[in-house]
Amino acid sequence: MKIKQAKQVATAALFCSTVVAAIFLPLTVSGKEPPTPVEKEQQNQELMKSVNKGYQLWHSPSLGTNGLACGNCHPDASATNPHTWPKYQTNLSKVSTMPEMFNWCIAVPLMGKTLSYDSDEMVALISYATYMHRGVAFAPGKDEQYGGVPVKSGPGFPTGNDGNR
Amino acid sequence: MNKREFLGLSFKSGAATMAAGMFSPMAGSMFGLGGVAEAATKQISPFTFGVITDAHLYNIADHKFDHQLAHSVAQINAMSSAPDFVIFAGDLGQQGNEAELVKGKSILDKLKMPYKIIPGEHDYYLDMGKAWRGLFGNDHWSVDHKGVHIIGMNSILVNDFWTLKSLTPRERMSYMEMLECSQCGLWGVQEQQLSWLQNDVKNINPNTPVIIVTHSPLWDYYPRWNFQTEDAPQIRNILRKFDKVMSIHGHVHQVVYNQIGNIVSAGLMSTSWPWPYPPVELPYPDIRMNRANPADFEDGMGSHALGLTSNFDGVMMYQAFSDGALPPNVKHGVKL
Repeated sequence: MKIKQAKQVATAALFCSTVVAAIFLPLTVSGKEPPTPVEKEQQNQELMKSVNKGYQLWHSPSLGTNGLACGNCHPDASATNPHTWPKYQTNLSKVSTMPEMFNWCIAVPLMGKTLSYDSDEMVALISYATYMHRGVAFAPGKDEQYGGVPVKSGPGFPTGNDGNR
Repeated sequence: MNKREFLGLSFKSGAATMAAGMFSPMAGSMFGLGGVAEAATKQISPFTFGVITDAHLYNIADHKFDHQLAHSVAQINAMSSAPDFVIFAGDLGQQGNEAELVKGKSILDKLKMPYKIIPGEHDYYLDMGKAWRGLFGNDHWSVDHKGVHIIGMNSILVNDFWTLKSLTPRERMSYMEMLECSQCGLWGVQEQQLSWLQNDVKNINPNTPVIIVTHSPLWDYYPRWNFQTEDAPQIRNILRKFDKVMSIHGHVHQVVYNQIGNIVSAGLMSTSWPWPYPPVELPYPDIRMNRANPADFEDGMGSHALGLTSNFDGVMMYQAFSDGALPPNVKHGVKL
């Protein structure tokens, strides 16, 4: 009986603290002003720097040791399908994320050294592949045999915030 | 049935038996597509030839792509009914170095039969084809074989994008190395070869069967990746007088099929790596390969053999290295 009461008390306490958190958390977060248009523009420029860096890395043999680059098999980041991750990856025998697959590609077909997940290089590769698929609906687990976004000209990613591809 | 057994069966008793097998009801039903160009009336002597393409060799010793090209050569050499000759449809090297082309030639020279070759963009843009021509001769040619007129052309010529940018030859090549090069422009055979082609076929009877080999497809597939030839409409126009033309191309690293007027067109798998299908609708979506398994280095790649009957009906055999790449309708041959 005591145990049950204790559980009830604990549950009530948890509930209360959740409610308290729910009340106070937004106030805490909204303590920061949203970025000004100038700041937002700077942030976008930083993102595009990462996308550009990813584009360069994608087409450079520097990630591997046998001359191959990501772009050999994935022109315009096609068949990367960022919108379908996480999903069960047969090669890895588990539910995996896109960066894990990137590292598999770097280690196996490119015979290179894997990247740490928070490295600038990995973030840049993710930025490029994901930005190429801007606007595609999220669909984790979706079976995409090929996929890819039609590209007409240039590097293929919009250079402005919502520029045309 | 594994690949070896299948090929052994297919080619055991020569082209005539193969053709009978290939044009079984099964093969017929999968081509219930209509519109196949009327067979030429002229009888030819049936024969088979091999096709290999897109080896993309690097100047790195003992590279996996060397072995994959060698595998392809061995596959064709092992066919129980030896093809008369082999065609290599471009991109022997990757970065245009002479060393890559020399290595490639030494592997192709192991073929038991003669071969003809055309350049791809990877063979060409370091020295504008100098090393390639030194090893292989002219980049466009025609031969007559058992009643069939066979044409090879260089379809990877682009207009000068490098002089204004002051690019070095190495930089020019690295631009062209990218499939999605945004500066390089569209490829074609250009004016000189168009005149040559016009002249080459001028006195050839329209009922002569014609096979044309180019690196890129002679139709507008996906220009972004140069899955096209800019002056293909002019080429098709010059060849319009023939009853039937078969167009064979590399560059796409995949099984793809089309028909335009009197021309049937087949794209080939590479020996190096497979490419995803571009984000466009295929004209014949049933004739495609499965997505290759990246853990299997040879999946989605292989060599090919084209068998011709006396009526100039042809079947493109995709001889995949790994069995999983091809759906059954492709595995059993694609009628051209």
